[in-house]
Amino acid sequence: MVDDARKNEIYEKLKNGVIQYDEDACREGAQEAVDAGLDANEAIFDGLVSGMEEVGRLFEAQEYFVPEILMCADALYAGLDILKPHCKQMDLGVKGSVVIGTVEGDVHDIGKNLVKMMFDVAGFNVYDLGRDVPLDKFVDEQLKTDSEIVCLSAMMTTSMVGMPKIIEKIKAKNPDCMIMIGGAPTSKELADKWGADGYAEDASNALKEAIKMVAFLKKLREEKLKK
Amino acid sequence: METEPLKRFLLREGATLVGVGDVTPALSAEISHLNRGIAIAVNRSLGAETVELLSGLQDLASGWLKVRGFRSLLIPPDSDRRKAKYITKLYKLFCHKTAATCSGLGWIGKNGLLINRQYGSKLSWATVLTNAPFVPDEPTSESECGTCELCVTHCPSQALEGHLWSVRDPLRVLVQYDKCRALKSRRTALDERPNCGFCITVCPYSRKSSRRKSIRQ
Repeated sequence: MVDDARKNEIYEKLKNGVIQYDEDACREGAQEAVDAGLDANEAIFDGLVSGMEEVGRLFEAQEYFVPEILMCADALYAGLDILKPHCKQMDLGVKGSVVIGTVEGDVHDIGKNLVKMMFDVAGFNVYDLGRDVPLDKFVDEQLKTDSEIVCLSAMMTTSMVGMPKIIEKIKAKNPDCMIMIGGAPTSKELADKWGADGYAEDASNALKEAIKMVAFLKKLREEKLKK
Repeated sequence: METEPLKRFLLREGATLVGVGDVTPALSAEISHLNRGIAIAVNRSLGAETVELLSGLQDLASGWLKVRGFRSLLIPPDSDRRKAKYITKLYKLFCHKTAATCSGLGWIGKNGLLINRQYGSKLSWATVLTNAPFVPDEPTSESECGTCELCVTHCPSQALEGHLWSVRDPLRVLVQYDKCRALKSRRTALDERPNCGFCITVCPYSRKSSRRKSIRQ
């Protein structure tokens, strides 16, 4: 086993790799973590994800813009690809699968992909339906995969109007399923009105929401480990 | 901010042409802060070597800007072939031809390709978007194809409409790309070579550039 100093050095490398959108550093750091026999889950959360948390902060402070966020996401994935096969299945009491997609009539999927990434990181099983997804496909996919969460994204008001129909159908068949909606035209009020459980305004907020969620999972995990 | 130092630097490193344009009108919200487009061209056909050279030039430009405290977004020469990454989502928001016309390096010909007065369409392009407040070059706003219709008459798939491009009418369809693509895929099936390139070969501007080269040799 390696000592704490070496461990922190590797995590720091992963974190900075994400922040500096340096894919090579992330790959290197991830490989070092694997070679040193570090816990892959821990490397993801304390390295990659804590880097992405900082990226979210930089975006809020308007130091980073969309291009930087996407490059950071690429760097995170570069590390994640190496660490993922070494991950132990996290036992959190939830099975953790999510259906995600951009609703019919909409081809904007940058925000959706960022949210998907954070679910990926958190170890969820992600069923990505892509963009311009027919309304019934969400309902069918949810039933088929028995997912706990369904995420709907839309960038335009014209495509957004499909959301309440999906929510209604899913809730009728499966009242326990959580539904998150997001995208520029949506709002907290609309989410409440349509009976959605979560809401994220745009890519940055979706990212923040997803990070919050992952952070929550991280806390759960730590509490579990303590016991 | 002057563009000369950057241009000289990139030309010395192997670029054939470098221009800096004000690309504000062509930007979508995600990249609206990067309103200067640096168009870099290399006078060679698009092969692995050219892509490497252009990517190298882009990295140099990006580094040059970074030490001066500016942001940049690199649109690689083969942006349509790069997938599977997050950043590639942004590539299709901006095309190389826009940067080239905005920096006055050419116009869009009746063949739908960028035509430079000296090199015709025989250039490969890469773009660097940046927020550095460069004084932009004079843009090209009108086509210089005039009455020439060689590419239109020689196109084997009759895909060219023969319209003159103008910056004031950016939505006008110059090429029926489905026809062009259909021919290319048929050719690929026949002899595994998708290339057609008639519209480049017959263009007087492109021919002029090769003739000049052969004289020199």
